[in-house]
Amino acid sequence: MVEIKNLTKHYGKVTAVNDLSFEIRDNEILGFLGPNGAGKSTTMNIIAGYLPTSSGTVNVCGHDIKEDARAAKRCIGYLPEIPPLYPDMRVEEYLRYCAGIKGIRGGEVKKEVEKVMKRLQLTDMRRRLIANLSKGYKQRVGLAQAILGDPELLILDEPTVGLDPTQVAELRKFIKTLGKDHSVILSSHILSEISAVCDRVVIISKGELRAVDTIENLERKMSGSPILSLTVEGEQLAASFVLGEVKGIKEIQDIIENDDGTSVFKIQLEDEKVRQDIMAALVEGGINVVEMSMERPDLEKVFLELTGKKK
Amino acid sequence: MFSLYKKEIQSFFYSPFAYVLSALFMLIFGFAFVNKIASMQTSVLQFSFPDMFYNNFFYFIFIIPLLTMRSFADERRGGTEVQLLTSPLTITQIVLAKFFAIVTVFLFMLLLSLFFPIYVALHGTVIWSSLICGYASFFLWGLVCIALGMLFSSMQSSPIIAAIIGEIVMEGFLFLDQFAATKMVQSYPHLNSVVTWFSMQRRFVFFAQGMFRLEDLVFFLSLTALVLFWNVLYIEKRRWNHR
Repeated sequence: MVEIKNLTKHYGKVTAVNDLSFEIRDNEILGFLGPNGAGKSTTMNIIAGYLPTSSGTVNVCGHDIKEDARAAKRCIGYLPEIPPLYPDMRVEEYLRYCAGIKGIRGGEVKKEVEKVMKRLQLTDMRRRLIANLSKGYKQRVGLAQAILGDPELLILDEPTVGLDPTQVAELRKFIKTLGKDHSVILSSHILSEISAVCDRVVIISKGELRAVDTIENLERKMSGSPILSLTVEGEQLAASFVLGEVKGIKEIQDIIENDDGTSVFKIQLEDEKVRQDIMAALVEGGINVVEMSMERPDLEKVFLELTGKKK
Repeated sequence: MFSLYKKEIQSFFYSPFAYVLSALFMLIFGFAFVNKIASMQTSVLQFSFPDMFYNNFFYFIFIIPLLTMRSFADERRGGTEVQLLTSPLTITQIVLAKFFAIVTVFLFMLLLSLFFPIYVALHGTVIWSSLICGYASFFLWGLVCIALGMLFSSMQSSPIIAAIIGEIVMEGFLFLDQFAATKMVQSYPHLNSVVTWFSMQRRFVFFAQGMFRLEDLVFFLSLTALVLFWNVLYIEKRRWNHR
């Protein structure tokens, strides 16, 4: 769908994006993750054809964004960081205008606008002035103009910024449904958002590519051996003794004693399957297990590690 | 392209903008008209409109930048420029759509001003040839001003500053006449010929006499096209220098 090769962008002497290469597959939601100022918006502006590249190529749906800009732009729906709205226009009027500049044919415009308004629940707001809409609705109108004409690629630059939690949840759900028949690039610095919505993640920092992978793979790569968190009741020593007998335990990293007489063991395992052996041994040893869970390093840890900010 | 044109027209006519400016335009025209009648020597209501047009230019250059100042500056401020430049429209199409929209508003103003010649025609005589040429000169000079105003609007993200720069430059254009008449310029024949070529007054003399010369038409149209082209290049250049 989109192929980005050796993309570099200089702003004068400052290099905003350096030698970025990745691809966006058909019908996937790609998360674009990085701290503020990492070059996310610059990259998205380049893919959308707003900014030219300093070097490297961007190919959208088989069209080079530089050589064949018009054809490439026809495949793209773009929602920039600040939704491009005219405050003195009405919702429907604005969407009709957007359909027009996107080259949707006269007869189709009405149908297309109705469809999009219905999809984003804007039908009741059609006669409202954009200036009088709430932030959530403005964002919806912005998204509506991006999906007008059903472009194959959607570029959404931090679409959930400034929305309340319900709106964020709604929007995420909507983006997920979009991912079924569109390719979506979603940028964000909110990690939970990316892990909730995206199939794959691109992590960049200071304009450089740090990782491109699925969320599970990234987590697995970073975690090394799995860690089991085990809460037991009663004597710490007895539990330690039982655990010492089980094969496949690398290391007991930490033992925390709680006030209520339970203890938490952090155990590094060689393999996740060892868990069952531990359970069996504990039951056999007559030790009361309160809780047992596998700990995964979340995306946040991966992110901080890759972008060079340790906690 | 038509959608953009339509949106621009709507932004003028759905707001008080076009009407307030038209009113101002009519006021200026009206003052000039009354003034002219008051200073008439004969009792016959017959006078040369082109003269009036030329005198009006000085006021008029304050109106055109007000029309053009928002064209690009507002898009930049509101963040909608991104949408225009990522749409399948080319920059040339964007510039032309905006240009024609402003020209349409300008024509609307000229249409309103027809009230004066019609009034004269009802009560006296109008010299049609010079009236038509007067309007033609006004329209052509307007095209150049609109193109210039748009250029400054795309150079600035503040509409007010765009308008002020536009006014200064257009004023400068009109003062070329006085400049050409100075001893200093006249002592350099080459410089003089260039300055005179660009000066407006010389051309308006012909229009005022009811003469429509191809040379003048070419001059105004090519100047307009040149400035519009400059605007296209400027926007393209800004994309490259964007920060």
